[in-house]
Amino acid sequence: MSKKNVALTSSGAEIRKKPLSLRIWNNRGYYVMFLPVLIFVLILYYWPMLGVRYAFYEYKPVGTPTFVGLANFEKMFGTNVKAFMTAFTNTLELSIVRLLLTNLSAIIVSLFLNEMGNLFAKKTLQTIIYLPHFMSWAVVASIFSLFLSPSSTGLVNGMLREWGILGDADKNIYFLANSDWWRPIFQGINIWKETGWGTIVFLATLSGVNPELYEAADIDGATRMQKMFYVTLPALGSTIITVLILNLAKVLNMFEPVFVLYNNAVYDVADVISTYTYRQTFAIALPNYGYTTAVGLFRSLVGCVLVLLSNWLSKKVRGRGII
Amino acid sequence: MGRKKKIHLFDVVNYIVFILIGLIIIIPMWKVLVDSFNKVGVYQFQLFPSHPTIDGYKTIIETEALYRPFLNSIITTILGTLLGLVLCTLGGYVLVQFDMPGRNAFAYFLLFTMIFSGGMIPEYLVMRKIGLVNNMWILVIKHGMNVYNLVLMRNFFEGIPGSLYEAAKIDGCSPMGIFFRIVLPLSKAALASIGLMFAVTVWNDYTTVKIYITDPDQVNFQYKLRNMIMDGDTPTTSYQVSQNTLFNAGIIAAILPFMMLYPFLQKYFVKGVNIGAVKE
Repeated sequence: MSKKNVALTSSGAEIRKKPLSLRIWNNRGYYVMFLPVLIFVLILYYWPMLGVRYAFYEYKPVGTPTFVGLANFEKMFGTNVKAFMTAFTNTLELSIVRLLLTNLSAIIVSLFLNEMGNLFAKKTLQTIIYLPHFMSWAVVASIFSLFLSPSSTGLVNGMLREWGILGDADKNIYFLANSDWWRPIFQGINIWKETGWGTIVFLATLSGVNPELYEAADIDGATRMQKMFYVTLPALGSTIITVLILNLAKVLNMFEPVFVLYNNAVYDVADVISTYTYRQTFAIALPNYGYTTAVGLFRSLVGCVLVLLSNWLSKKVRGRGII
Repeated sequence: MGRKKKIHLFDVVNYIVFILIGLIIIIPMWKVLVDSFNKVGVYQFQLFPSHPTIDGYKTIIETEALYRPFLNSIITTILGTLLGLVLCTLGGYVLVQFDMPGRNAFAYFLLFTMIFSGGMIPEYLVMRKIGLVNNMWILVIKHGMNVYNLVLMRNFFEGIPGSLYEAAKIDGCSPMGIFFRIVLPLSKAALASIGLMFAVTVWNDYTTVKIYITDPDQVNFQYKLRNMIMDGDTPTTSYQVSQNTLFNAGIIAAILPFMMLYPFLQKYFVKGVNIGAVKE
């Protein structure tokens, strides 16, 4: 990358002597090529940005929007503060715990994969553990809903009955509608789905570790366990930090995994900002788009801070930003 | 000798851990597969169906209500992938034209969308205005423009030696000519990787459909199946199969297309992750 930049800036310096209009004319083909991207980005990203003004309006499906000042925000932090703050803290808690758990399990699995000498076994396991990543959340949620269902065909309740932990069929636990169970199950499903995919980045890093480090450790008489802890794991350090920083920017994006797994019995532990916004807009009779736009604006602003924070951390730690 | 024995123990533990990890991933899928072939619904995990039948799949195939969603899924996946590739190669290519005036402005124009977004509702209102509510084309349009994939493509193009462009320019090749004759042929692997990411995203999308579409003629396969399983929108069947069999057969039908292609495409998926994530 650096080599190319040098080449281009040196040729760029020559070109810069020409007048701007000529440079623009010379590059006209590229402007035409960018045009479709420009149009799509304007419509899909920038036009909605203009829509955030409705955060200060009352906007019902019928009638015209009327300016109401900060009334929507007052509602958010006033009458609706309990539901809103629950959604906000749930988003942070679910996302951050998910980020830590899926990466922790990905690191552990990567370490084991890295130690596997049998190439066939390694490749086979990789093929298997990447698989769930390609299943949609709708499908994954359906699978686990069937397993955890309180009906007679639910795997988990059936096993618990068989082992005598649950007495009767009428004592079956409705796991996904139980506030105590929902979060552990949610995190477990996320680990099942995303661990394998998470290992790719770590394995790529490990394949670049200098073999001399292991040889030196061998000479010092290190066991394989010791090499794993003192050579392999430290080699992952910067990648782990990078992955965590990059994902910090996305913690508020949590939507689909919750959306397909939650239900009205577990709002207290499962409702996130996006699902709250969805319900307040599409699941009530006369939604006020203004109010849900305000919720979305709040989320975007906090998200913006997180992206910039993540970018700043990234520059500090690894010398280049995320954006 | 003592050392040799230790290595042996480590390998044994490693194999055991390997098998356990593999089983944790496979058992849920295997249960779904077995249950989809089982006439009766059972909770037990079976290696093979106790009452084998293919009537679950027959029902799925004969349920006309599923045809339209399946077709919609195929159409939107193909078109969404094509549109996505066109936009992200065009944009990515323009972003590596370092002597083009305004290149930085274009880059910031795109990157700003990663920092701030209007949010779900303003987006919905815009889409309603341009007629994409209750319209399956929303899946194509919404996923077709993906700034993250565009940046991946840009990163890939950046790796193509600049001397190649220079040589082509000297030979009088136009920007379009360079793009089609030099850049794209060199980018087949990246196109495959990023194209697959688009395809997976569009095929698997459920949330967009749930937000934007209520017309049953416009929904996709994921949505239809999910409704069938979770909301009891079960197809009527003339066969003697349990509801559980139908649900599981539906799940398999939803993942089958990608599972069939997956073994052949795995390396492109992995490559796609590595283009983006581990540049250093």
